[in-house]
Amino acid sequence: MGADTETSTQPASTPPVDHTSPTTWLRENLFSNWWNSLLTLLILPLLGWTIWVAIQFVAVSAKWDIIVVNLTNLMVGDFPRDELWRLWVAMGMLAAAGGLLLGATSSAARNVAIATDRDTGAPWHDYARRMGPPVALLVVILAFVRTATPIMLLAVIVLTGLVAFRVGSAIPGSRRTYVNLAVVVGVAAALLVISGFGGVSRGSWGGLLVTAYFTIGSLLLAFPIGILVALGRRSTLPVVRWTCTIYVEFFRGAPLIALLFIGWLVLPFLFPPEWESITRVSRALIIFTLFTSAYVAEIVRGGLQSIPRGQWEAAQAVGLSPWKQTRLIILPQALRNVIPAMVGQAISLFKDTTLVLIIGLNDLLAVAQNVTQQPDFLGQGLIMETLIFISFIYWIISYWMSRESQRLEARLGVGTR
Amino acid sequence: MVDSTLTRQATQVGGTGEVMITLEGVEKWFDDFQALKGIDLLVGKRETVVVCGPSGSGKSTLIRCINRLEIHDRGRIVVDGTELSEDVRDIQEIRRETGMVFQSFNLFPHLTILENITLAPRHVRHKPKKAAGATAMELLERVRIPEQAHKYPGQLSGGQQQRAAIARTLAMEPKVILFDEPTSALDPEMIKEVLDTMTELAESGMTMICVTHEMGFARAVADRVVFMADGSVVEVNDPETLFTSPQEERTELFLSQIL
Repeated sequence: MGADTETSTQPASTPPVDHTSPTTWLRENLFSNWWNSLLTLLILPLLGWTIWVAIQFVAVSAKWDIIVVNLTNLMVGDFPRDELWRLWVAMGMLAAAGGLLLGATSSAARNVAIATDRDTGAPWHDYARRMGPPVALLVVILAFVRTATPIMLLAVIVLTGLVAFRVGSAIPGSRRTYVNLAVVVGVAAALLVISGFGGVSRGSWGGLLVTAYFTIGSLLLAFPIGILVALGRRSTLPVVRWTCTIYVEFFRGAPLIALLFIGWLVLPFLFPPEWESITRVSRALIIFTLFTSAYVAEIVRGGLQSIPRGQWEAAQAVGLSPWKQTRLIILPQALRNVIPAMVGQAISLFKDTTLVLIIGLNDLLAVAQNVTQQPDFLGQGLIMETLIFISFIYWIISYWMSRESQRLEARLGVGTR
Repeated sequence: MVDSTLTRQATQVGGTGEVMITLEGVEKWFDDFQALKGIDLLVGKRETVVVCGPSGSGKSTLIRCINRLEIHDRGRIVVDGTELSEDVRDIQEIRRETGMVFQSFNLFPHLTILENITLAPRHVRHKPKKAAGATAMELLERVRIPEQAHKYPGQLSGGQQQRAAIARTLAMEPKVILFDEPTSALDPEMIKEVLDTMTELAESGMTMICVTHEMGFARAVADRVVFMADGSVVEVNDPETLFTSPQEERTELFLSQIL
């Protein structure tokens, strides 16, 4: 008995546990003094009333018919309805490419996590939470669908993406080049299916399609350009340095709307007259790209400056050429450091694309405005409904981007060396 | 009189007697401040030279000039027959043959230890991935941290990081290694493991120039010790003589302060 009590060793001390009962929490945070209590009593009803009004509007008084009727318009604008199959096929291809890429990336990240002894298996509710925003987006859009075909097609596309994800994560890291190649081919093929082979020229794209095209297209183009400009600003050649500085300062200093107008009016003169086919959509894409790459350049320059001098010195000392010092040592670290700022820029660009309304393009916001002028809905003041619908789309996608960037940061260990 | 003795000692190479590094009248200016005031020094093949001196005496600047991390303004620097010039090819040639170990390790934090070591052999010497990896593992065995190969620098202790940095340097099979205060950023209990690695290297016949305050190491391992002050070489001698009967007042003063 005596021996027993001796061997049952209790840890000398346990970490403190924070036990706060709901009542205590309320008293400490909402009713800590008379002034706080007064504020709580005033604001709580106001908050409740606002929520009540919002629910009342969304669930009862709003006339969502306008969305139901115009869902295709909101998604693709004036895209010819006979050619819609092209978009479905392209979406399937993009889902496959995206799934493949994400699958390969996540298995690579998992290998890194295993190598660094970090928590590898995220619990299921972690995945569920990650999938929240895109699922919410799909659900809200599907809520306005009244036929079975689009739902089935979407299901097929989602399934394609999931299968591609599985395939992507099964491919070993040494075959990564092929994955990247497949992704590039997939994206190119998707674009070709939409506009090639007697397809639909970009001039008649509209709605969410053209918004996504501007955002993704100009981001993909602005990223490499921005990196080059940022590197150019640090060049030892004065000509290169000055050119890049002037470029950045010009595009950062001018309002985007002014640039869009200039692009609309001036760009056609810069190209030979045979190129008449340079549509307004392409002109806007060029302007968005030039504008965004100036910002990307500044973000990347900040990242480059955050790399300690010792990294350059070590890269020089092991004998790497200047280009390899930059490509293998400096850029990977610099880009990792600027992920948050870069995602911020992406979100801002996504919302800035609504400015094309001014030059008469048919983006998501323009469609939301135009459909209220249809004979069936004219004069009924339905702009609230359409604006709420598209605001939700903008918000949920932006929120998704910001959440994913936070995850990426944590994963790549930004801020920890 | 004194000057000529100094010159004789500074140019009397140890090691095999063949010259590996020649410094002739090397001067370095930072704006109006003269960091190096005409340094003459020869380092022989397989020789270990320890450079010591008070802070700001130009020790680090001196060895950083040898692999062109700093550009010297006057004088000549020749490493294994290649003279440092404006020509990028000469600089790259010398950097390939000259390793450097830094005070703050400067491992690449985004790469694993193994990738840190194989990077330069693969991208500068164009070794195949497998061969570079095998060599890297041998080197990690040699510095006694093979189990850390797949970790990232941030997960290692200071002493382990510095040994990994030495392995990274060795992977390029350099003819000379420059050590820039390799133990100054380490906790006391980790200094020994790094010094042991350096001692083993010196005994294996590597040509080394070490800027260090570890006088025990200097006494045990160095062929010659260079004492610098205010950008000049004050005294050069074998460690025993320099530590027990320094010829110069400044050397004596410095030694009395640190020993």
